[in-house]
Amino acid sequence: MSFMTQTSAAITPALQARGVRKTFVSGRVHSTVLHDLTLDVHAGELTLISGPSGCGKSTLLAILSGLQPADAGEVRALGQVLDGLSMRELEHFRLQHTGFVFQGFNLFPALTALEQVELPLSYMGLASGTARRRAVESLEEVGLGPRMRLLPAELSGGEKQRVAIARALAKQPELLFADEPTSALDAANGQIIIDILHRIARTHGTTVLCVSHDPRLVGHADRVLAMEDGRILSDHVPPASLAAATEAKEPSA
Amino acid sequence: MVALARKTLVHEWRRFLPAILAVGFASLLQLLQAALVLGIFGSASVYITGSSADLWAGYPGTQSVNLGRPISEDIAMRLRMDPDVTAVEPFRWVDADWRGPRDTGGVSVFVSGIDPRPDGMMFSRALPPALRARLKEPGAVIVDKADLDSLGVNIGDTAAINGQRVRVVGVSSGLRALGGVNIVSSLETARVLDIAPDDAGMMTYFVAKLRHGVKPKTVANRLNGSSAFGPYTVWTAKEFARESQLYWMFDTGAGAGVLFLAGIVFLVGAVITSQTLIAAVIGSIREYATLNALGVGRGSLRKVVMEQAFWVGALGLICSIVIGAILLVIARARSVPMEMRPLTALACLALSMALAIVSGLAAVRSLRRADPASLLR
Repeated sequence: MSFMTQTSAAITPALQARGVRKTFVSGRVHSTVLHDLTLDVHAGELTLISGPSGCGKSTLLAILSGLQPADAGEVRALGQVLDGLSMRELEHFRLQHTGFVFQGFNLFPALTALEQVELPLSYMGLASGTARRRAVESLEEVGLGPRMRLLPAELSGGEKQRVAIARALAKQPELLFADEPTSALDAANGQIIIDILHRIARTHGTTVLCVSHDPRLVGHADRVLAMEDGRILSDHVPPASLAAATEAKEPSA
Repeated sequence: MVALARKTLVHEWRRFLPAILAVGFASLLQLLQAALVLGIFGSASVYITGSSADLWAGYPGTQSVNLGRPISEDIAMRLRMDPDVTAVEPFRWVDADWRGPRDTGGVSVFVSGIDPRPDGMMFSRALPPALRARLKEPGAVIVDKADLDSLGVNIGDTAAINGQRVRVVGVSSGLRALGGVNIVSSLETARVLDIAPDDAGMMTYFVAKLRHGVKPKTVANRLNGSSAFGPYTVWTAKEFARESQLYWMFDTGAGAGVLFLAGIVFLVGAVITSQTLIAAVIGSIREYATLNALGVGRGSLRKVVMEQAFWVGALGLICSIVIGAILLVIARARSVPMEMRPLTALACLALSMALAIVSGLAAVRSLRRADPASLLR
């Protein structure tokens, strides 16, 4: 395709799916959601999977992130094969390497923004001082420094989603998964979230895999995969991103 | 560490309140029930617990102190012969009928004939020496002050027991009986009041004091070994008190009732508490699922729920202890027979904490619904 794909292909992909199949059974009806899907997601990129609802994009995200097992095929994340890992091993993998942002913000009503972000860090075994510092940094990065002492009830929808992003970001994950992160937000707040996700991929080198049918996201992605009926229809680099990427990489090239 | 369990409990206290109240009420009911049972059935053995005797000798096989029968004077001899026995004292039990000066009808009373000497063992804990000395007057009796109304008398009044004239010379407390009214008199007065012809002059029990440091159980076993002085059984005071209490508890069916009620209270409390905790878990299920997606293990999530159950239990227990203590003080002030021992209180509280923990375990099961993949749909 172009410059981007060529350079990325040289390094090991952050996520690899080989012949992944997933079938759901309800009663006697078997519906195959993913048809022997093969895909590489490159490190340090914001990859967007888009498609109509029911096309299997959320299922693909669940399988690539180790939330759900595939029925057939192989999934590798950061070089590690996820298939066959026990629930506990998958939890440990997720704890060490992944962050999640969901459509709903899923914040504990009793905790302040700072505590929401600190909570998963404390389970990672970080000292409380380190956890606190990282949480503050992450909240500042998403622009919530002055509002970190507030409860979810005192925050707007966009701010809540930014807390959710900070919660994922503070773990310093190599992989960040986002499922429809902007669907519950208005245009302005959606734009802020898009910018933050984009920046995370750029500045932290995090592999961001985002599932969305929000067209506003397309222009900000490094790569867009279009899915339909459990298959990937197209795989392209959006023109805006290509231009930006080329521009950004030129001085060092 | 972020105190998720506690912060949620404080923030959503309205949601947890039913569970705290359920544990609190269950605990309070168990405590009060236990206190009443101990208090009421404790009075079945007031003759024993209110006295300082170490051993009791009575009719063989007597199941409760109120069921004594006349025994031979020879048994007192047998007791005195034992080298470890330092004092022996007779105790005479008379079932009698009371007629007061006021219109109270017949009242069934238990007359305890005791040795009124100041160093007497019988009722030494319930009667101060000065009061005890007044029993020397012929026809003098002492009653519990809470029984004055049902007997229809005041101090100084005269009444009739089994048709014989008696005079109330004083009142005490801690003399209340189960199934009737206790009347304390001297042995001499009791002999006059006893109208049954067959046990004229016969005592119901002989109580004994032992040398300091001797184990009552050993002496009782030794004394029970021979029957040369006629049939009798010797119990230690502790044994006999316990036997009398258990007899009443099970003879009246109250024991089974108490256990049944404890079971019901536990069940109802556990249902309310577990439902409340389950609702709280379900209410936060998406947040728990998100934590699980971020890699926080199921075990850690279970710990959060169990910690909540523990705090719910602890708060419930504190409520019940405070209210229970207040009620106990009020009950004592009004001569309601209530009695609480540390071990019993501990058992009641442990049962209520177990209720909270069992409810927590039930709530932990609903954490299974915290499936992070479900957040993606």
